[in-house]
Amino acid sequence: MAPLGGYQGKILRVDLSSGKITTEDTAKYKDYLGGTGLGYKILWDEVKPGTKAWDPENRIIFGVGPLTGSGSPLSGRTSITSLFPVNIQELPGTGHMGGQWGAELKFAGWDSLIIQGKADKPVWLYINDDKVEIRDAKHLWGNGVFRATAEISAEVGPEVQVAAIGQAGENLVRVSCVMCNRSHSAGGMGSVMGSKNLKAIAIKGTGAVQIAADKKAWKDFVYEYLSLIGANNQGVVPTTPQPWAEYYGATRWNAQKGQFWGAANPPVETGVCSADDLNKMGFRTHKGVLDHGDGPGQRHTVRGGGCHACPIRCHVYTDVPALETKYGVSRYNANTCIGNSFGKSFFDNLASGSEIAIEASQLGCALADDYGLWSDYGQFPRDILYAYRKGIIKAKLDPKEYDSIPWKLLDAGDPAWLLDIMKRITYKQGELGKLFADGPAFLEKKWPEIAQFHQTYESSCWKDAHAKHHSNENGGQVGTLINMMYNRDSQCHTHSNYLASGLPLAVQKEIGAELFGTPDAVDANNNYTKMNKGKAVFAKLSLVYLELHNSLTACNWTLPVWVSPRKDRKYRGDIAMESKALAMVTGETVSRADLEMTGMRILHLFRALTARYMNEKDMRKNHDKANEWVFEYPADKPALSAGVSRMDRADIELAKDLFYEEMGWDKATGMPTRATLEKAGLKYVADELAKQGLIA
Amino acid sequence: MSERNSDDAGKTLEVDLPVSSPAGEWHILSRRDFLKIVGVGASALALPQIVAVGVADAAPQAQTYGPNAKGMIIGDPTRCTGCRRCEIACTSFNDGKSQPALSRVKIVRNMNFGVRGEQGGAARGEGNYGNFLIVQETCRQCAHPVPCQLACPNGAIEIAGPVNARIINVDKCTGCQMCQAACPWAMTVFDAAKKKSSKCHLCNGDPECVKACPNSALRYVPWQDRSRDVAQRWSVPAYLSTPANVASTCVQCHK
Ligand code: SF4
Ligand code: SF4
Ligand code: SF4
Repeated sequence: MAPLGGYQGKILRVDLSSGKITTEDTAKYKDYLGGTGLGYKILWDEVKPGTKAWDPENRIIFGVGPLTGSGSPLSGRTSITSLFPVNIQELPGTGHMGGQWGAELKFAGWDSLIIQGKADKPVWLYINDDKVEIRDAKHLWGNGVFRATAEISAEVGPEVQVAAIGQAGENLVRVSCVMCNRSHSAGGMGSVMGSKNLKAIAIKGTGAVQIAADKKAWKDFVYEYLSLIGANNQGVVPTTPQPWAEYYGATRWNAQKGQFWGAANPPVETGVCSADDLNKMGFRTHKGVLDHGDGPGQRHTVRGGGCHACPIRCHVYTDVPALETKYGVSRYNANTCIGNSFGKSFFDNLASGSEIAIEASQLGCALADDYGLWSDYGQFPRDILYAYRKGIIKAKLDPKEYDSIPWKLLDAGDPAWLLDIMKRITYKQGELGKLFADGPAFLEKKWPEIAQFHQTYESSCWKDAHAKHHSNENGGQVGTLINMMYNRDSQCHTHSNYLASGLPLAVQKEIGAELFGTPDAVDANNNYTKMNKGKAVFAKLSLVYLELHNSLTACNWTLPVWVSPRKDRKYRGDIAMESKALAMVTGETVSRADLEMTGMRILHLFRALTARYMNEKDMRKNHDKANEWVFEYPADKPALSAGVSRMDRADIELAKDLFYEEMGWDKATGMPTRATLEKAGLKYVADELAKQGLIA
Repeated sequence: MSERNSDDAGKTLEVDLPVSSPAGEWHILSRRDFLKIVGVGASALALPQIVAVGVADAAPQAQTYGPNAKGMIIGDPTRCTGCRRCEIACTSFNDGKSQPALSRVKIVRNMNFGVRGEQGGAARGEGNYGNFLIVQETCRQCAHPVPCQLACPNGAIEIAGPVNARIINVDKCTGCQMCQAACPWAMTVFDAAKKKSSKCHLCNGDPECVKACPNSALRYVPWQDRSRDVAQRWSVPAYLSTPANVASTCVQCHK
C-alpha cells in the first residue's frame, strides 16, 4: 500500500522461533485502525482458542495507529495486546503504555509490531528504521529494566527508545509489565515477553509521519484541539478559585500561585495557569502534589513528565535523597497514580502525605520499575496485606518460611519491607513468592479466604479477581457496565474524565443531553437515579471512544474533549475531534459516524474474541459480572440512595438490557447478533461464532 | 519560511555593520559594497575561497562580514518535560510532516541520558534515566565567522530573512552534509527524503517551537553571542581546519 498520511504502509512481524522477519501490508488491517483493533484482529486470525498466554503460538502485538507519532495532541501511546496472563482463563487483554516508544516505531517506518514464536535463548530485538535484527541478550538476562536499557543504549546510541522486561517478566511472574522510557508500563504483559525469551525491543527511527492536510490548516486544527484540553483527566476548571476562572471544582488542575516544582534547581513555580495560556498547559497538573501530598509533593518534585506529543504532564519526577542513604536505590524516580501508590499499598500504616509515605512510594517505583513488577491496579498488595492481617498467611505457610519474612518491617511501617517482599515475588521465592507472583485470580483458587475477601468492598475487587477501576462510583450504572466488559481491571476513562471535569452538575447535564440524548444520563456523584437509555448511550460511547483511543492511538487518560475549559464555547468541547484529526492526518474522508462505526467494529470483535476463548454462549451471565459488594455495600443504606454508590440488582439487569440494545447485542445472551456483526463488516466473525455454536 | 531559494537572495537582507572589529585585521565591506555582492544573487559570505581564515598557504582574501541575527531561541532545561511538542511544531508546521530527525530544535537526543549519553550508566547522568534534566539544544545563529556557513562548499548557507537567520538555500545545497560536521552543537539536520540539509531559520522571527512549548521552556530573545559556549558535541571545526584546496576535494565524495 502506498504510504498515506499517518500510516507507514507496513507492519513488522518477527517470528522468534524461526528468526524470520517479514512485513504485512497495513491496508489489510485498516478497518481496525491499529492499536487494540489490530491486536484483536491478529488474535482472531492467528491464535486458536485453547492457546495459553505463554505458548509460542500466542502473539504479542505492539499496536500503534495512524495518529501515533503524527504530533496530534496526546498521541503517544502504545497498546500491547495478547492473551492476558493475569486473567484466570488467560483471555485476551491489553496493557497500555505511554512514553516515546510507540512514536519511535512509527518514525522507524512501522505501523505496528507482531511478535510470535519463542527464541531458543534470550534475545533482544533491534529495529533501526528498516533494518531489523535479533541480537543476543545473554548479558542482559537476569538484569533489571534500567540496566538492560542502559546497556542497549550504550551499544546502539543514547537516542534509542527501549521497551524491556525486568526479572519479573523473565521469571514468568504473571503480575509483571513491559517498561519503557523510565516510568511507563504496560501492565500484565511482561511474562508474555519473558515466555518468548525476548528481553527488550529497541527502536531508532529517523523517518517521518506524513500529515496529509495543508500545513496551515493542520496547525490551526492542532491549536484548536489544544484549546479544548484542560488538565489531566480532562478537568476543565481549576481546583481552587483563580482570577481567570468562573468555576472551580475537584479536578487535577491544581496549579496555583506559590506552588512549586520544589526540587527543580532552582525551583519552578506552577503559578497561575489560565485556560487560554497554552504555554502553561504543562504546569496545570502538579502530579507531585496530587500523588504525594502538598508538602513532600512540592519539596521532592523535579518536574512533570509524560508521553510523546502530550502537553499534559501527568507523570511526576522526584528527587528523594533519603532513598540513596536509607535503602541504597537511586534518589531519582518517576511515575504516576497507581505506579506511585504501588509501594505504599503494601502498608496500611503510613500517614498519607508524610515523608515516610513518599519514601515508600518512590522506593516502590525504584524496585518495581526495575524488576518490571506490575501492581495489578493495587489488587495483589491489598491481598497480601489482608492475608497477613487476618493470619491467613501464618496459617497456610510453613512456619520456617513464615518466620524468615521480616513482618516486623511491615508492622513498623518501614519502607525497607519492600526490599524483601518485592524481591520475594519477583524471584518467586518460597511458597509466598510463588503464590503472589501468579496474581489474585490464581491465588483465589488456592486460598478460598481470598475469594471471599474479593466479594467485599474493602478488597476493591470487581470480578474474576480483577480490581475495580472507575466503576460504580463513576456514573453508577455507566461505570458498572464498563467494569463488566474487560478481562482485567477495566481501563476506561472516557466516562470518568467526563464526570471529573469539575463543571457544575447543571452544565454537565446540559452537555450530557447533547451527547447522550437526555440530561438524565448524568447524575450527581454518589446519588444515582434509576437506569435509563441515556446512561446506556453514555456507556456505549465511552467504550467506543476508549477502543478508538487505544487504536488511533490517543490518550484515554485525558481525552476525549467532550467538555472544554473554554467559557466562550459554554464549556462545550467537540466529540468529532478524533475523526477530524484522523481525516487531516490521513487525507481520507472520515466522519464522526464512520469513526464510531470503526469503534463499534473493534468492540464487537473484542466481544466475539472473548466469547470464543471462553467458549461461552451466555456472556450476560458468565462474563458481565460484578462482585457481591457492588449490590450490598454499604449495608445500612439502600441502593440508589443519597451518598452511596450501591447498585440495585434488578436495575443493573435493566442496565444490561438497555446497553446490549444500544450495542446491537442479543439481550438474552449479551452476544453480538449476526445482523450487528454483518453490519460492522464482521461476517467472518459471525460465521465462526455460529460454527462454534455460540450464536445462531 | 522553511527553506530559501535563490530567488529570495538579497530580498530582505539588512546589514548591521560591526562596530568593534579590530581595524586592519578585518576588511569591512561598506554597506553599499555588501549589498552589491548580495544583490547579484550569490552569497558573499560563503564562497569557498574565503574559507581560509588563518591558513598560511591560502591566498590572501578580503575578509567578509555577516550581520548578526536579531533573535535567538534559548531553552531552560529545568522547565523542559520532554513532551517534544517543539520538535513536532518545528517540522509539522514548517515541513508538513512529523519527523524528530529533521527538527531544528533538539530534545530527544538528550532526553534519556543527557548530553553525555549513557556512558555513566543509569541514574548517574542527566535525562530521564538520570537526574531528569533535559537540555534542549537550539541553533545559536552564530556570530561571524558562522561555522556551518563557512564549512559549506557550495555557499548555500545565507544570512537572510527579517531577523538575519542563517538559512540554507535549497537551490545551492547539494546535501553534502559538511555543515553537519561543522556545527559544534550538531544543530544542522538532513532531510533524507529531499536530500537537502536544513537548519533553524527562526521561522522568520515567529518561532513555532516557542509557541508550541506547554512549559514555557523555550524563549525567543534578542540575539546575543553564544557561539563561544563550550561545544556540547564533537565536531570538525571545518572553517578553521579546511583550507580551500582541501575543501574543494571534499566535494568529490560529499556530493
Ligand atoms: S554553526 Fe550550528 S549553531 Fe552556529 S549557526 Fe550554524 S547551525 Fe546554528
Ligand atoms: S525557530 Fe523555527 S526552525 Fe528554528 S527550531 Fe524553532 S521551529 Fe524550528
Ligand atoms: S516543547 Fe518545551 S517542554 Fe516540550 S520538549 Fe520542547 S522544550 Fe521541552
